[in-house]
Amino acid sequence: MPALVSKSLRDHRRSLVRWTIGIGAFFALYLSFYPNISQNQDLYGDAALEKFPEAMRDLMGGLTGFTTGTGYLHGVVYQLFGPMLFVVCAAVLGNQAIARPEESGTLELTVTLPIDRRRLVFERFAALALGLLGVAAATFLLAWGLSVATDMGVAFDRILAAHTGVFLLGLLFGALSLAVGAAAGRRGPAMAVVGVVAVGGYIVETMGKNVDAVSWLRWVSPFHYYLDGKPLYQGFPGGDYLVLAGAAAVLLVVAILAFDRRDIGV
Amino acid sequence: MTAVVETEGLTKFYGRRRGLEDLDLEIRPGEVFGYLGPNGAGKTTTIRLLLDVIRPTRGRMSVLGTDPRDPRVRGRIGYLPGELALEGRERASEYLAFLAGVRGGVSRDRITALAERLEADLSVPMGRLSKGNKQKVGLIQAFMHEPEFLILDEPTGGLDPLVQQEFLAMVREVRAAGRTVLMSSHVLAEVEDVADRVGIVRQGRLVAVEDVAALREKAVRRVEFHFDAPVPREEFEGLPGVRDLRVEGANLSCTIDGRPDALIKAAARFTVVHLVSAEPDLEEIFLTYYSEEEAHHARAGVQEPA
Repeated sequence: MPALVSKSLRDHRRSLVRWTIGIGAFFALYLSFYPNISQNQDLYGDAALEKFPEAMRDLMGGLTGFTTGTGYLHGVVYQLFGPMLFVVCAAVLGNQAIARPEESGTLELTVTLPIDRRRLVFERFAALALGLLGVAAATFLLAWGLSVATDMGVAFDRILAAHTGVFLLGLLFGALSLAVGAAAGRRGPAMAVVGVVAVGGYIVETMGKNVDAVSWLRWVSPFHYYLDGKPLYQGFPGGDYLVLAGAAAVLLVVAILAFDRRDIGV
Repeated sequence: MTAVVETEGLTKFYGRRRGLEDLDLEIRPGEVFGYLGPNGAGKTTTIRLLLDVIRPTRGRMSVLGTDPRDPRVRGRIGYLPGELALEGRERASEYLAFLAGVRGGVSRDRITALAERLEADLSVPMGRLSKGNKQKVGLIQAFMHEPEFLILDEPTGGLDPLVQQEFLAMVREVRAAGRTVLMSSHVLAEVEDVADRVGIVRQGRLVAVEDVAALREKAVRRVEFHFDAPVPREEFEGLPGVRDLRVEGANLSCTIDGRPDALIKAAARFTVVHLVSAEPDLEEIFLTYYSEEEAHHARAGVQEPA
């Protein structure tokens, strides 16, 4: 493994373990409620959830089929909280690549090593992707295990499809935070851009289904390419996932070009 | 032999603020070059330009015969940043092993030997190291791969006097091995013992480059002789370089400008009981020189048509 990749992974080791435990704990807590909910059709059935305003149901991803395994898993884990946790985790990792070491001053020695600047960004991104993949793999196994333990009856490949989408979405936001950090050299702007794109993108995608004024914006929302294909219901939306991966690759190129032509630490 | 550093009209502006302007500098192979100036004068800007951390606004430079944009050249340089940041739980030994690996490998014995020499503890997490100990780790990483060219930005900051002496010895060894050193400082006293030449930057401009030996020769020093009997004043009057002569009985004091040879030979005709010679304060000469230069610049500025 290239020196910078293994070094970054070593540096991120603790934070990766903490994120895995945190996301895992969230999954475990929410999925443990499922047996109770599936047995209370009156309280959580479609008819009961109809009473919520439509816009709110849209924001929560529709809130249908909450008492079925797929509906519940989608509603509490894969609609909003799961993706957002991965987005934040990836954005933090993206900031660790350039912006944070530049702010603290540790990047100074790194850029004077005999490593091309473009390779430096690429290797830091590779570490981000591998670290995120590790968190995704561990939490996927946990989600699948819990779904089996609570008799959700959701197929292995559907959970894999949804989890892959969450990973790709995270990777995209990680690349976004890396790109802004590589261009600006500061964490603040990177976090602001990620926050605006994530929250704005989510609202546009969910509300846009019923609000014509913003529906045309859905295609620029990263969440569109994860949620629209309903991976937990319909399996891998291949084309959409390629868009997510492609956008991450484009952002990586932007990060590399921006970092290569810039003064460091001024 | 080609110069280790060669710059021509090297200029860096940070927005509209001048960092460095029209630097023409040559550093020769095997020399120790002291780079002096007050804080914010442009020393660190020069160093960071040479290492491709920042990019010049205009001008040309070559380091070890190549463009510093070529990453391979950085493997032949050892660099100690002026503001060295080391943090986290990682041990200094692990960090040094990482840096050594990227630079093509350094034996563990070499790192241990340097650590012992500077009395650095490499087993402590770097975030908990004191400023002085961080500086030692910084020195170890700069010296460990025996680079052809060492760039040390304010290397003695935070080091106690004994370690400072050890560091200066390391610099002398590097020079003895024919390798080149560029070290910056804001005081001459820190570099005058090891530097062959010194350059002074002020407000982004190189105002002087001087040979330290020549500077010493120019140095004015105060000398006192105590003889066993009163000496005649005439014997010492008019000696080359002797000024402010005072003879009071058996005591003589004066300042000498340049070589003390004539004075010593004159004094040798009597019985010398005691001799006091103050170390010339190069700093003072430099500052005098420097302020004349400044005044010259100021006049030139006034005469320039608006």
